Amino acid sequence: MIGIECRALTKKFMKGETTITPLDSLDLVIEPGSFLALMGPSGSGKTTLLNLIAGIDRPTSGELLVDGLDIAHLSRSRLARWRAEKVGYIFQLYHLVPVLTAYENVELPLLIHPLSRKERHARVQRALELAGIADRHDHYPRQLSGGQEQRVAIARAIVADPPLLLADEPTGDLDRESSTAILKLLRKLSEDLGKTLLVVTHDIATTDYAQATLHLEKGRLVTEPGEEQRHA
Amino acid sequence: MPDLLRVLPLIAKQIRRRPLRSALTLCGIAVAMFLHSTIDAMRDGVERATRVTAEDSVLVVYRENRYCPFTSRLPQYYGDRIEAIDGVARAIPMKIKVSNCRASLDVVTFRGAPPEQFVELYVPDLEIIAGSVDAWLRRSDAALVGEALATRRRVVVGDRLDAAGITVTVAGIIRSDEPQDENVAYTHLSFLQETSQRGGTGGVVTQFQVKVTDPTRMEEVARAIDAEFARDPDPTATRPEKAFVAAAASDVIEIVEFASWLGRAALIAVFALIANSIALAVRDRVREHAILETVGFTPARIAGLIVIEGSLLGLVGGGVGALGSLLLLRQRPSIGMEGLTVEFTAQPGAILLGLFLAVALGLAAGLLPAIRAARRPIAGSFRAV
Repeated sequence: MIGIECRALTKKFMKGETTITPLDSLDLVIEPGSFLALMGPSGSGKTTLLNLIAGIDRPTSGELLVDGLDIAHLSRSRLARWRAEKVGYIFQLYHLVPVLTAYENVELPLLIHPLSRKERHARVQRALELAGIADRHDHYPRQLSGGQEQRVAIARAIVADPPLLLADEPTGDLDRESSTAILKLLRKLSEDLGKTLLVVTHDIATTDYAQATLHLEKGRLVTEPGEEQRHA
Repeated sequence: MPDLLRVLPLIAKQIRRRPLRSALTLCGIAVAMFLHSTIDAMRDGVERATRVTAEDSVLVVYRENRYCPFTSRLPQYYGDRIEAIDGVARAIPMKIKVSNCRASLDVVTFRGAPPEQFVELYVPDLEIIAGSVDAWLRRSDAALVGEALATRRRVVVGDRLDAAGITVTVAGIIRSDEPQDENVAYTHLSFLQETSQRGGTGGVVTQFQVKVTDPTRMEEVARAIDAEFARDPDPTATRPEKAFVAAAASDVIEIVEFASWLGRAALIAVFALIANSIALAVRDRVREHAILETVGFTPARIAGLIVIEGSLLGLVGGGVGALGSLLLLRQRPSIGMEGLTVEFTAQPGAILLGLFLAVALGLAAGLLPAIRAARRPIAGSFRAV
């Protein structure tokens, strides 16, 4: 299990002449094994925070410790290797590779691991079964519904068995029925596999499945009176 | 290497992703490499036919200021005088009759030589792959036909070969390292003299093939021969056999030299085609490269995928082009001019070099798009498309 600690985490970028600050000196501790929902209006910095934790974006200042490692100062290559071991990322729009079948999409993260074809097959099969999409393994993304695509994306995120799962609005493009199924699946992954799970969402229903909900506004955490910034 | 094997199916799928674009790119590379390999073979053929080496020991005595077998006429008795010159081992009179005096892809050259001298000096260097020398000796209208000519004209032993108004019976098929022997029909000298309409009958030959005793004295002997006949009604011009080919084929050599620039341009075309295809592909896949990096592929590994894709295009397209060139060159095409032949054959080394170049160009063409893809920020890439 993996914990996260942000200290005065700030992200700024220029848009024309204007400085945008999606994250403003954020302090946050996420306990290992927790399932948190991260909510807030558009532009509040939710996705930026998720990207920083995943190491696919870099903070302007502050510290970001994931499993005790300050990832803000890792090189891009080291970050990629770190992600391969530690992070599974689930996108709102699934981002499957269209020329690959569901099986091949799930297999992608394993291609950089020194595994035999047999070992890869066993892992992919298990991930597809956990995500409940094993029967569509030979389908291409265009042959799948949105919910099915998201299941494939989840299988891809868990296939390398990373301790940290990050999901950016995983139900944002799905109907209610599919959303519920995906949220149940995420909670199952958190409970059964002990993953630390952080889900960015606009969907209030997600809070029913998460252990706690964080609210971001203008790049800062909004806390209720008496609530600490230590979660789950 | 195991890394590469794991990602090869992914690269292959990416190439097949845009079948029309990939097919057109591969087609262009194949055509360019076909041109390059074929032109390379032409250049090599010219070089082999015209480069005088230290082992060469044959001089050709031709009529001075004549460049075509139709107009080079020398008295046959010159042979005895040539053989009397110091440094000459043997002088073989030869009558040459060609179906076409100009440069052509299908010239049939008849060479008439005295049978005994021919058997003594030429046959040891020839491989008789069908028929026999005995059959050739027995029959006055017999011909020993070069393998390339026999293949081109589809004749076998016992067939009649008809060209330039002369009909011979094929008594044997010969194989030789010398292009001149591969594209010629050797007949008895007297037969060719009698059947030639021009040049008269008997006593007149086209040239002498002179074997020297010491290859280091080629130039000295050539000068002595020309000096011997300088005041005769038919003065001579004597050169090493390959220098003679070079002089006779100078037009063709210039054309081939020019064509070699086309071959180089073909390589540039390969580079441009692959670079264009890869650049378009990388632009299409900005988001996918971001996905790959998100799941753990390092930027170097992503760049590697792109570069390998370029190399694969080069390998497959170059391979098809080289194969096409090989198939063409298996027919042993040749250009004949003035009764001489420049043959174009496939050189495995040149074909392999061409393939290597195609792969290297593919690699180089993929490099810049690969570096760009590897440097693109991940988060921005998801928003870019």
